Amino acid sequence: MKKERETRTLFGRFKSIQSTMMVSFSALMVIAVLIFLFIALNYTKNSIYENSINYTSQIIKQVNYDIDSYVKYLENISFIVSTSSDVSNYLYNEGQTDMEREEEKERILSQFKTIMDSRSDIYNIAVVANNGRSILNDGEDEFTEYINVRDQDWYKAALEAKDGTAISSSHVQNAIKSSYKWVITLSKALINYNNAQNEGVFFVDLNYTSISELCNNNNIGNKGYIFILDEDGNIIYHPKQQLMYGGLITENVDDIMACKENYFNTGDKIYTISKSDKTGWTVVGAANTSELLKNNKQAQMMYLLVAAVLLLGVILISSIIAREITRPIRQLRDSMSMVEEGQFDKANVAVTAKNEIGSLSKSFNVMTERIHTLMEQNVYEQKQKRKNEMKALQAQINPHFLYNTLDSIIWMSEAGQNEEVVLMTSALAKLLRQSISNDREQVTVAEEIEYVRSYLTIQKMRYKDKLEYSIEVSPEINHIMIIKFALQPLVENAIYHGLKYKETKGNLNIRGYERGDKAYITIADDGVGMDEDVLEHIFDETMKEHKSNGVGVPNVQKRLQLYYGPEYGISYISRKGVGTVATVTVPLNSRVDDEETDK
Amino acid sequence: MKRQTSKKVLTGIFLFCIFASILVVAYSMFISRDQEKQIYNIIMVPKTIDDTNDFWTSLIAGAELGAEEFNTNLEVLGGKSEVDIAGQIERIEEAIKKKPDVMLVAPCSYSETTEALQKVVDNGIKLILIDSVIDKDIAQSVVATDNYLAGKQLGEFARGLIDENTQIGIVAHVKGASTAIERENGLRDGLGKYEPQVKDVVFCGSSYDKAYSLTLEMLEDYPDLGMILGTNEYSAVGAARAIKDLGLTGKVKVVGFDNSVEEIQLMEEGVFQGIIIQKPFNMGYLGIEQAVDLMNGKNIEKNLDSGCKLINRNNMYEEENQRLLYPFTGQQ
Repeated sequence: MKKERETRTLFGRFKSIQSTMMVSFSALMVIAVLIFLFIALNYTKNSIYENSINYTSQIIKQVNYDIDSYVKYLENISFIVSTSSDVSNYLYNEGQTDMEREEEKERILSQFKTIMDSRSDIYNIAVVANNGRSILNDGEDEFTEYINVRDQDWYKAALEAKDGTAISSSHVQNAIKSSYKWVITLSKALINYNNAQNEGVFFVDLNYTSISELCNNNNIGNKGYIFILDEDGNIIYHPKQQLMYGGLITENVDDIMACKENYFNTGDKIYTISKSDKTGWTVVGAANTSELLKNNKQAQMMYLLVAAVLLLGVILISSIIAREITRPIRQLRDSMSMVEEGQFDKANVAVTAKNEIGSLSKSFNVMTERIHTLMEQNVYEQKQKRKNEMKALQAQINPHFLYNTLDSIIWMSEAGQNEEVVLMTSALAKLLRQSISNDREQVTVAEEIEYVRSYLTIQKMRYKDKLEYSIEVSPEINHIMIIKFALQPLVENAIYHGLKYKETKGNLNIRGYERGDKAYITIADDGVGMDEDVLEHIFDETMKEHKSNGVGVPNVQKRLQLYYGPEYGISYISRKGVGTVATVTVPLNSRVDDEETDK
Repeated sequence: MKRQTSKKVLTGIFLFCIFASILVVAYSMFISRDQEKQIYNIIMVPKTIDDTNDFWTSLIAGAELGAEEFNTNLEVLGGKSEVDIAGQIERIEEAIKKKPDVMLVAPCSYSETTEALQKVVDNGIKLILIDSVIDKDIAQSVVATDNYLAGKQLGEFARGLIDENTQIGIVAHVKGASTAIERENGLRDGLGKYEPQVKDVVFCGSSYDKAYSLTLEMLEDYPDLGMILGTNEYSAVGAARAIKDLGLTGKVKVVGFDNSVEEIQLMEEGVFQGIIIQKPFNMGYLGIEQAVDLMNGKNIEKNLDSGCKLINRNNMYEEENQRLLYPFTGQQ
């Protein structure tokens, strides 16, 4: 069998369509499920983020609003203080007595005291004028001599601001002696009513109690927090300010300041941003994504579980479907391999479906049947042809024999041997009649023996004393059928090749008997015999060097085996100088092709 | 044959699915376990717990904030004096009995606490040294200022303030403490060619008063002294107080280590020309961070430099330096 050249396609690697289908179904499903998972998880994640951003931005807007109102409230206080006549007079009225100035100072101090008592978030409260006059807290604290208040940023900012108020970033208040506190300073310019110029500042230093309260009151999850940046991105308030200042933790301040939208996601954290127009501060809410996604984990687990179950199911079902779809194909394949081996009788495929495979099976069935009949017909025809050839051959009688016989008759007539002439002529007539008489391929052993007897009669008369023969056929086998002209060629062979070359008288014995389920007819001569070389090739048709009649030994052998099978036929035993025995074996009940012969 | 192959593929896919689901379950379990982090017990033994000393107060504050940040239990055991080596050894032994996971120790002595600290390690307690080191390399990690470098930096700064005729005195803190040794070496190297002008080195035993009186004595011995170097907060402040009280502000230049409100005031007044400040808050915080990382099996640095910064009158009001000078903690 020739091996087909394999072209490996995508699915050619698999050994069966079933596994191809199953694997590709499963692969498709895996891809589909993965895409679905990816989208679903992403969607859930995004919606969680979105919710968090919405929630956080509400909170920080509220915080921003609270801070604005806090600052506004402080501005109101500073407005009240800065516009009071006591402050203006104390700072700028040069024409007052010391008494008046003391009284004004007392009143301002008591106002300061009231404010400071009512508010815990104020460290320092003071008025300072450019001319050096000032009132600080309870009057006992002093400004430090190492620093000029007028150089401080918060002082300058208030004088430069359009509305006269400024709020600083987080800084250390260095201006007050022996005190170095982190504060946020709200400063307001004071107008010298003499020249309507900003020539002083009122300020309050705020500690972080209020702001941290505002920021910490709102929870953004357990790990979320709020912090505040000033316009330049400096930290005003952060719940872990010391860590920020120590550089131990950092925030993405640059990104926050650069961000145009109201949130951005760094992967670890989501920053939600709200900027106040009033203070210029940016309130930032930071939410921890890992915390947000903690609940998402359960959803993810659920998705994964469902996906895994789905996949399992799909693989099971796809394997069943694949098996079902390919079942007729497999049956077809099995049938085909049976046909390949020549087993036609079992090759019929049951047609179970009306689809393509069904029609394929149907066609296959028709086809195999056709092939089967054609093959049988072919075999029959071949056999028939062979038989006909044989028939044509067997019908011939060696013409030389005929001429020789006729010559013998002529000589005998000339010699006046009338009796012999009659005998020979009648034997020849019998012989001829028998050979032409019927179309049957088989005759009984008795008939065949009779034919041989006629032949031998003629030969005996021709060779006179050179030939002696005897025929002993057991009567049980007389009725047995044997193919026509099976024995005569063997006898002829024995005479022409065995006895003819013998100097002395030759004996020919024909015996017939049955043994077991076979009948045996032996033709034994004591002629010259054959050597092994001749014996070996006795059935070869090519060795027809002798001019025997056209039937010949090989022909007989072929016909016998064609009719009765290989275990029957002729066998030879021979010894040089001793003789030869040819044995014809035929079955006892050989009525096989009777009806065929009638055709 | 063919049927067998497809069966193999089938079982293969099946096994893969089962394997995958097991992976998923394992992964989720791993995640949930990850969330329940263990709470570690840490005991810190500083050289001293002294409210008047901003360095140690700040260091402890940093450690406490770190403990809060990393969710650990922190206990601080400390005595009143930095020279109380026996007391510290007692506290180390007391701490060992409590079987903490990690101990953070700032050893008072370079050599005398070694034995006690060896016991810590022998008891399977992880040891991290902060601020100072000992003569044996047994700690998992050291979190400290690079004292030699800090000393050298200050020495170089001092060198710029003086000339070849200036006599120099050093007021060191505790004899035998690693910080004192390293800083003195650094100072001497920083002074460079003026190093031979160092006339005297005294040890104040980390006491303001002793530093004060030793400075007075030193000025009696060397009336022409033009520069005093203090190696920690106690020695620097003690010396500066003496100079201020003697009315020698500006005449005898003082530079020193560490950072306190008093030091800043003295610098504003001009007594101090410069101070080199450590970052005690960071030191405490990083110590806890190292401890937690160590417990969590992360790779940690063997020597972690917490950093230092030279502050003088010109740069003390810069925002960056203000953040280092004035701790924010406790003001909210």
